[in-house]
Amino acid sequence: MMRKDKEDELDDFGRFSEPALLILVSLAGEPRHGYSMTEDIETIAGVRLGPGTLYGALARLEARGLIEPLKSEDRRNPYRLTALGERALRARLDSMMAVARAGQRRLASA
Amino acid sequence: MNWLLRLYPAPWRARYGEEFAAVLARQRASPGMVLDVLAGAIDARLHPQIQESDSKQMKGEDTMTLEMFARCAAGGPKLSPSERRIAYWLSIWSALFIAILYLVLTKIYREAPAVQAVFWTSVLFPNFIYQQMVYLKKRLWLTQVFVLAAGLSAMYLFMLAVMLIAKAL
Repeated sequence: MMRKDKEDELDDFGRFSEPALLILVSLAGEPRHGYSMTEDIETIAGVRLGPGTLYGALARLEARGLIEPLKSEDRRNPYRLTALGERALRARLDSMMAVARAGQRRLASA
Repeated sequence: MNWLLRLYPAPWRARYGEEFAAVLARQRASPGMVLDVLAGAIDARLHPQIQESDSKQMKGEDTMTLEMFARCAAGGPKLSPSERRIAYWLSIWSALFIAILYLVLTKIYREAPAVQAVFWTSVLFPNFIYQQMVYLKKRLWLTQVFVLAAGLSAMYLFMLAVMLIAKAL
């Protein structure tokens, strides 16, 4: 399915598209490390990401500059959203909200 | 469960290994989790995201592969250009020699097992001489001749035995 938003950076994430979106949402509040993201995502979306999925998505997000690691003294490396990541998240959420509104309108008129 | 980490490529482990292990340590082990990590490791190998390290790794592999090919092509240990030239020519001339010998023997003795054994020995003959020369290059010439003669004799006798058995069948 083609998306029209050119700013949507998550298009080519394949099966990691949804986990990547959840990670971006999780990091929108504050910087978090891997395990903290897993816990947070489970709370907000009811989905528990496995370590393989989590780091598959994290590596893609970092490679595209949507998130960046922060310095850490222990081995749990926290990440935060970059400006590009914030724009990508906004674009994706706007797109999802547009779809949700259209769906709700149609359901209401059915 | 840290052994699962070894399934990931080295550049990936260098970048994410520690934090991944920290996450792994706090997860409850389950078949689903193991499958998830396996799928992640396959993905990391098929779609590497760590470009710089990955390219370094590729260069390293390429260098190793090229080195391996170079060694195989040269017959094993490193040879000087002159030693390589000698080894090539020795292989070529020995192949021609054994081919002529086979033709002459066939003309005289037809398809006798001893002649057939020469043919089958000749298949490995040039390579055998080449390898011997390469691996024995630092030995005394007498040692080289002895090992070469013994090796070729053993090979010929083996082929002769095979030909005799084949004829008896």
